[in-house]
Amino acid sequence: MTTVSTTLAIVLTFSVLAALAAIFLRDVLNAIIAFAAFSFGIAVAWILLAAPDVALTEAAVGAGITTVLFLVTIAKTVRPSGERLLEAVEWRSVAIVVLLVGTLLTTVRSLPAVGSADAPVATSRVTEYYLQNAYPETGVENAVTAVLAAYRGFDTLGEATVVIAAGVAVLLVLRQEAYV
Amino acid sequence: MSHADSDQTYVESTIIMTTVRVVVPFVFTFGLFVMFHGAESAGGGFQGGVIVASAVLLLAFAFGIEPTREWLEGPLVKTTIAVGGATFAFVGLGALAMNGAFLEYEAYGFGSDGVKYGIELVELAIGAIVSGVLISLFFSLASGDFLVVSANNGIEAEPSENAANGSDDAASDSDNGSDDGVDASVGATGGELA
Repeated sequence: MTTVSTTLAIVLTFSVLAALAAIFLRDVLNAIIAFAAFSFGIAVAWILLAAPDVALTEAAVGAGITTVLFLVTIAKTVRPSGERLLEAVEWRSVAIVVLLVGTLLTTVRSLPAVGSADAPVATSRVTEYYLQNAYPETGVENAVTAVLAAYRGFDTLGEATVVIAAGVAVLLVLRQEAYV
Repeated sequence: MSHADSDQTYVESTIIMTTVRVVVPFVFTFGLFVMFHGAESAGGGFQGGVIVASAVLLLAFAFGIEPTREWLEGPLVKTTIAVGGATFAFVGLGALAMNGAFLEYEAYGFGSDGVKYGIELVELAIGAIVSGVLISLFFSLASGDFLVVSANNGIEAEPSENAANGSDDAASDSDNGSDDGVDASVGATGGELA
């Protein structure tokens, strides 16, 4: 457990540094690469926390597709003039970010320890029900898939509809009648 | 939307083309595997769809965005999205028709196996939706015609907008102007896009 915690601490530190680099680097291309590194770090963190489904999503979407979409977007823009490496700091924005992060950090103390056996998620009756009945009822070995596609199938249909609606809306806004 | 305009950054590279030609079938198969195998291991329609879309993006990077777009031209991507959405909805409605609840896979009467195949079908449908939307999004962003249009509008609209504004808006404009020139730099970038 301690080795996992140490690795997790290293990975999260890497992610925070990458996030800071993404914020402060002036060149957008550098910022995008730093953002991809951040997503990669978070994906590794999800693996360490034994959530491979989320890790796969984070790696494919965060570090993969999003990076590519950012790249094709900035290919249409120009580089900022000047030789400065870092972006100037906006102190009003910093104040808002500090306020928000400070508020969120106050909740950290009430979270259960990483991997704790008596975390509410592990002891909840709902979790127990899914873990005991997902396979006999659906024949699906991945309980996450069983929840997403069977027990919460209606929610997932809603999500799929949102993806279609968002896609159609964005494509209409981009005015690409020639290719949708 | 001429070739030279939207594909200026493309440089033909034998190494990239050869590598992509070898890798893409495996990436595509892996995407389908993640969709199908979401029931047994990590993954599912969403993740698999993203991987399938990234296979097409690899092709676009290796062989140029315009040729890939022409290769995919037609109703293929649109149809993929629509068929995905319809499949998901009809799997749900079909259960209603078989006197079950909406999306109740047991209602099809194949037992536990039927539930599993129903889930696999739904995962495939999600994969079709996600990959289709991402592929269209990529080509729309990459073609970039909309940027030229909006940049021109911005330049032309700005002075008249300022002139038409009342004192109220003018005050807020000057407030924005004091933001360390951030707005000004954004405007400049927009102008150079054209």
